[in-house]
Amino acid sequence: MLVGLDRSSLFSLQGKVALLTGASGFLGRTFAETLLANGADLVAIGRPAKLAAQQKLWSEKYGSGRVHCYFVDMFDLEELARILEEIAARHAVDVLINNAHELAPSSGFNTPAGSLEQGTMDAWMRNLTAGVCWPALTVQKIGAGMKERGRGSIVNISTMYAVVAPRPGLYEGTAFLNPPAYSASKAAMMAFTRYVASFWGQYGIRANAILPGPFSNTEDAGPNSVQAGDPFIEKLKANTCLGRIGRASELAGALLFLASDASSYVTGQGIVVDGGWTAV
Amino acid sequence: MADKPEVTEETNRVQALFDLTGRVAIITGGAGLLGAKHAGIIAAAGGFPVLLDLPQANPDASAALIAKKYGVEAAGYATDITQLAAVEEVRNEVLARFGRVDILINNAANNPKVESGGSKAWSRLENFPLEVWNDDLRVGLTGAFLCSRVFGSEMAKQGKGVILNIASDLAVIAPDQRLYRQEGVPEDQQPVKPVTYSVVKTGLIGLTRYLATYWATAGVRVNAISPGGVFNHQPEAFLEELYQRIPLARMAHADEYQGSVLFLCSDASSYMTGANLIVDGGRTCW
Repeated sequence: MLVGLDRSSLFSLQGKVALLTGASGFLGRTFAETLLANGADLVAIGRPAKLAAQQKLWSEKYGSGRVHCYFVDMFDLEELARILEEIAARHAVDVLINNAHELAPSSGFNTPAGSLEQGTMDAWMRNLTAGVCWPALTVQKIGAGMKERGRGSIVNISTMYAVVAPRPGLYEGTAFLNPPAYSASKAAMMAFTRYVASFWGQYGIRANAILPGPFSNTEDAGPNSVQAGDPFIEKLKANTCLGRIGRASELAGALLFLASDASSYVTGQGIVVDGGWTAV
Repeated sequence: MADKPEVTEETNRVQALFDLTGRVAIITGGAGLLGAKHAGIIAAAGGFPVLLDLPQANPDASAALIAKKYGVEAAGYATDITQLAAVEEVRNEVLARFGRVDILINNAANNPKVESGGSKAWSRLENFPLEVWNDDLRVGLTGAFLCSRVFGSEMAKQGKGVILNIASDLAVIAPDQRLYRQEGVPEDQQPVKPVTYSVVKTGLIGLTRYLATYWATAGVRVNAISPGGVFNHQPEAFLEELYQRIPLARMAHADEYQGSVLFLCSDASSYMTGANLIVDGGRTCW
């Protein structure tokens, strides 16, 4: 084996280049910090408003030479394709993390307009675009270089709702709603993950997914955030075996594992990080 | 520590996340090929491996090698994990020596080779000896149950601990018996992968989920790994056939499961319980 077996080199991303979409979101920020703190150079894609501020913070902490931000509204697929081509020309990406998703009323989150009965086709398309088309495009544009170099690790951020359905009782009497299009798009993402693993394993490219359980955004004041004391969190806790929701930093281990050579024989898999939600 | 890496700002975080300093890890079948690898990564992360194995496997010697290589404490106990009293005795000795148990890796299993045994047809279901069935289940499942009961209870008492069950890709898919076919051998004499291997490994996944919920609030996390086969200079024809069934087109290296073991035994997986991590080069994804 080429990898060192002490824990620091086994899971290290030293000298690697990681491309992360949705880098300025709640989980995206943790992923970005995890990549940077463990040695990777970061290529981040996100909307300018939030990502620019993060770029400043990360550059100060880790050096501007290690942080490369590209600003785009990913729903503009033509512009996204152009940006990805630019990235592919400039950076030899070793790790691709498809993390971006729109968790907003426009995608049917936390609005009756996202429900099974009333969900608009526009909300459906926005979910499918984020869960399927974005990864399809990044894999196509960035994967070409990985194929040439004969190595690469692709990590798709799915959800436990790709495996089990949300329970309606969770949302009764609350303003929260997790739309069916989200489950469907993230389940499709799992199928896509396996497809890439199957077709590109021969080129040394691995494709896997992380399926987070309840990781409520208690940090931001955005459309999908939850206040720390909200009774909704108590409901989420009650559905786990560990009796608590996850901390964003608790996804760092799974990301490092899949991104690094520690998982060199793992491909086509999803790692469920859900406090035992799906174990029962 | 022999391979102690330089701690830089970049490696700092990995160190903390995957650190096992001072944690005591029981590894059943610890003197075997993979058991010793599990022990090695535990030791490399600062933990104290405690190897359980049968007397003829000489777990003491394996433990001494690991202690020397990694500069950590390690212990070996020649014992029979299918006997409750024997497991309890080991627990008493481990607690007397280390004062605690933090990790249990249920790794021991009989792995009868397809070609082993007297008659070539012994492995076929029609002929499969009841004694072999009983013995395979005793080691693979009863042993895992007894060790979980004895060491898991200790961890639940402490309020923190990890159990890792070593299953197999054959806990997820059936053996492809065509891989084991031999030219010119009549149908009813063709060797096969024994039924017990599938049953034991699939049973471990059930045990994993059962224990995960059973001890969840006691702070004991329970997960499984389902590894594929390890390259060990198998015959060319076998490898050629097998590689066509694996997207990465190769078997695993013997040390390639260490990352998964450390991930699931350390706090890097603190929000994971009841999970089965499949490490199979993609064999089950297509």
